[in-house]
Parts: sequence; structure tokens; C-alpha cells
Amino acid sequence: MELRMNVIETSRLTKYYGKSRGIVDLDMTVEEGEIYGFIGPNGAGKSTTIRTLLGLIHPTSGSATIFGKDITAFGPQIRQEVGYLPSEVFYYDDMRAIDLLRYSASFYNKDPKATEKRARELAERFDLDLRKKIDDLSYGNKKKVGIIQGLAHQPKLIILDEPTGGLDPLIQQEFFHLLKKQNAEGATVLFSSHILSEVQKLCDRVAIIKEGSIIRVDQIRTLLENATKRLTLEMAAPVEESVFALDGVSDLAVTNHTVSFLYRGHVNDLTGLLARLDLVDLQVEEPDLEEIFLHYYQKEE
Amino acid sequence: MNVFLREFRAYRKSLITWAVSLAGIVGLFMALYPAFASDIEGLNEMLANFPEAIKALVNITPETFMSVLGFYGYLLSFAWLAASIQAMNLGVVIISKEVSGKTADFLMTKPVRRSEVVTGKLAAALAVVLIMNVVFIAVSYLAVAATGAEFDSSTLLLMSSTLLLLQLVFLALGALFSVTIPKIKSVVAVSLPTVFAFYIIGAIGDVLDNVELRWVSPFRYFDPAYMITERGMEPEYLLVVAVFVAAAIVATYVIFAKRDIHTAV
Repeated sequence: MELRMNVIETSRLTKYYGKSRGIVDLDMTVEEGEIYGFIGPNGAGKSTTIRTLLGLIHPTSGSATIFGKDITAFGPQIRQEVGYLPSEVFYYDDMRAIDLLRYSASFYNKDPKATEKRARELAERFDLDLRKKIDDLSYGNKKKVGIIQGLAHQPKLIILDEPTGGLDPLIQQEFFHLLKKQNAEGATVLFSSHILSEVQKLCDRVAIIKEGSIIRVDQIRTLLENATKRLTLEMAAPVEESVFALDGVSDLAVTNHTVSFLYRGHVNDLTGLLARLDLVDLQVEEPDLEEIFLHYYQKEE
Repeated sequence: MNVFLREFRAYRKSLITWAVSLAGIVGLFMALYPAFASDIEGLNEMLANFPEAIKALVNITPETFMSVLGFYGYLLSFAWLAASIQAMNLGVVIISKEVSGKTADFLMTKPVRRSEVVTGKLAAALAVVLIMNVVFIAVSYLAVAATGAEFDSSTLLLMSSTLLLLQLVFLALGALFSVTIPKIKSVVAVSLPTVFAFYIIGAIGDVLDNVELRWVSPFRYFDPAYMITERGMEPEYLLVVAVFVAAAIVATYVIFAKRDIHTAV
């Protein structure tokens, strides 16, 4: 088997903000070349982990390495090969987009001309006018500047903290496409999100973080097999609860004509059941993370 | 170097405004000197009638006020006030601009040391201060010379160089505030009250003739009358300036290196 280097490795990484918890004894291993999803509800510690890795905040205890180098001792050296995009971007309002990208490029030990060329290519791809002042850009366009400053220097590690907010679906698709391309060219990606479907689209492995600790790391395939859906059925006639006695059904609620439940299991079994029913309407939703935690992960603990 | 250039460029406009304004004030004020000097007798009588407290407050003593350098010394305390506000603004803005503008996330995730950021920004502020002082000294010399009165140019240089010392004090104090006050929404709201507080403490100290208060306010470290008669500065106050500036800048580096940069909310 091919021996892969760990790009990120944390060991009992802990951060407290005064007395309030950020992360506690967090152990995480991100292997070279993978797209690692980092998923959990807001306040679970995703940003705390990422900001600690980037050296924005200092760990209370524990340690972490990126590219095998300690994050506290070799921060600037590590960040030469890191690209970061936060959920909300803020840049210098008095600069034009191109000025900001040049300023960004000036920090890296890489040919600034090549970086600028790449930035211009990306801007064209995202249809962004680089001559505009940051102040005059819409939020979505500022976010594009964010993507470009994070990727133009071709980092070996791309860290994204809930990056999709403010991006319209087309741009988001283009962005995911770009990430997959970077990944295929060798970049490792750490992608945090509280939206399961995003992570499903992109990631190889997913860590689920809750209350400051990683409670589970799954291959995305496992997670998909375990994917839970919330179904709401509108029936032609009232039905018995026993009709829904299928493996994987939980949280069943039958009120007159309306039936609602969570389903985790093979989709074919579910459609087989639905085919036998007289439906007026059918709604399939992805449950939010809270629901998944409530009905799946908490049970397993 | 990139941080320095970026910061210096951002300060250009305000530097021009401050330099032109200060030069204008010096020029205008010194242009009044010939009119004052032509009526020394009347002025002496008027000053003799001033209450002691007022004389102390505005720092006027007849013997020094009459000479062109005495007159310049009177101007100096106002120039100190204005320049200190500018220097304090420059200091306070150093880190607080990145925090309040929420750009710290961008800057500090680049491959750059915290100390390099502080150095680049301090150097840019220092460059602004140095340019201000070159302008101030040059304009002071020209304006004093233009009165036609006789003066000792090395004493003038000594006096006008106090502006730099005061700016260094307030630049360092501002930088220290910049990394210690958690959220600075308005730079002026921090710098103006601070500078005025020190100015007023200095004025009170002068009125009360209180030596202890003199140590508290940098505005009383350099007495124009002393500089004119002794052709030098009081060394103990120079030492205070040097120690304070060095300590504040070291503290700025240390505190910023340890500080957490929190999520932009």
C-alpha cells in the first residue's frame, strides 16, 4: 500500500476562550491528497480548529502539525503552502481587486508574475472585474476575490471554513469544480461546513465534530449509505402506523392524512414501500444536522 | 517591505493634509511676529498686568516671549498638540485598523510573522512622522528667518526637534493601545481624549507649579524657556521619553504576538 503523508495532524488539541470551550482534546488526521470534510453544527468548534491551525489563535494545550511542521513554531513557513477562504471575507475597501491580489501574492515566495497570471485566469473564469474597487464589489464578488487570493499561489493545502455562503449556485458549482481540479493536481483540501449535501458532493472522508470533539470519522460512502432523509407524505386516506414498519424508519408521526418520518437505509426499499401507497403528495428533505445528531449519532453513543 | 509600502501608501493623503496644515500654521503665526515685536513696550505693560496663573497656563514669560524664539516657543506648544494627535492616530490605527476592518484574517493567514506586520506598520508610521518633522523643521527655519529678527539657529533646531520626540511618545502609546484595547471602533475617539488629557494635566501642573505632574505629561518635558536660556534639553526627561518609547514598542510586539485574532463578527 502506498504510504501517504499526513498533511494535518492534531494531537489532543485544545482551545478554551477563557472558560468557554472551543475544542477539547481534538485528534484529527488529514492525509495528503484527500478532500477532508469537517462537519458539525454551528459552535461545535470547526472554526476554532481551523483558526488554530492557521495560527490566528493559540492553542490552550495539545499540539498540531501541518506538513509535519509544528504550527506554533513554523506558522509563516507552513502558510507559504496554505490557501484559506473563510465564510465571511473582508478586504481593504480602498484597494482595487487587482491591488489586493497583488498584495496577497507579495507574501509568497513564488514568482509574483505567475501568481498574478493565475489570479487573472481565475478572475476570468469567475467573471470578476479586477479593476473595480473592493468597496464597490457585491458580497458575492468579494467572495470571488477571496477564492482567488486563496488559490492563486497554488497552495498544497486548501483550508475552507464554510466557504459557500454568499455564492450563487452556479459559482458554487464552478468553485467545487475548481477544488476538485486542484485536488486532482495534488492539493489536499480541508472543507468545513454545516451543510451535509455540500460535503457529500466534494469530500472523500468526513469528520463529524460535536461540542468540541470529533465524534466520528467516516468514508463519505459510509455516510451516504447512512444518509438520513426526512419524508413527509400526504396520503389519500388515513393509514396505520404499521404500514411503515420498515428497517431504517424512525421518528414516525402519523396524523390523519399526514405522515412524517426519518429514513436511513437503501433507497430501493423505500421506493418499494412508497409504490404500494396511495400518495397525494411527497416531500423528501435532507434533515438538518441537529436532526441527524438527534436520531443517529446520539443513539450510537 | 510589502506591508510597509501598503501602509505608507494608505497614509499618503493624510500626511499631505497634516504637513500642509502644520506648515500653514507655523507660517501664519510667525508672520505675526513683526507686528508684536514692533510694540514691545506696550506688550510688556500688558503682560505685567496678566495674572500669574494665565501667564503660566499659556507659558508666557516676558523675557522669553519678546525674542523671536520665545514667540516661536509659544507656537511650539500648539504644534505639539496637533502633531501628538496625528502621531497617536498613526499608532492607534496600526493593529486596530485590521481588527475593526476585519482584514486581520486575510493578513495574518498570509505567510508573515506577527512581528513582521508590526515592524512594517511601525516603519510606515515612523516614515510619516519623519517626513512631518523634516517639513516642520524646514518651515520653522524659513518662517523664523523671514521675520528678519536675529536668532540662534541651533537653538531653533533644538526647539523644533521636540516635535519629533513628542510624536514618538504618542506613536508608541497609540501602538500600545492598538494591541491592548480589544475593540477600537473609532481611532479618533481613543486618540483625542488621550492627547487632550495629557495636555490638560500638563497645563494644570504648570499652573500649580507641580513638579510631579510635570513627569506625567510629555507636554511639559521640553520647556521652551529652558531650551532658549540653556541651549539644551533637560536630560532626565529625555531619558523618560527614550525608556517609555522603547518599553511601549517592545510591549506592542510581545502582546500582539500572543494575542488571539477572533472571528470577524
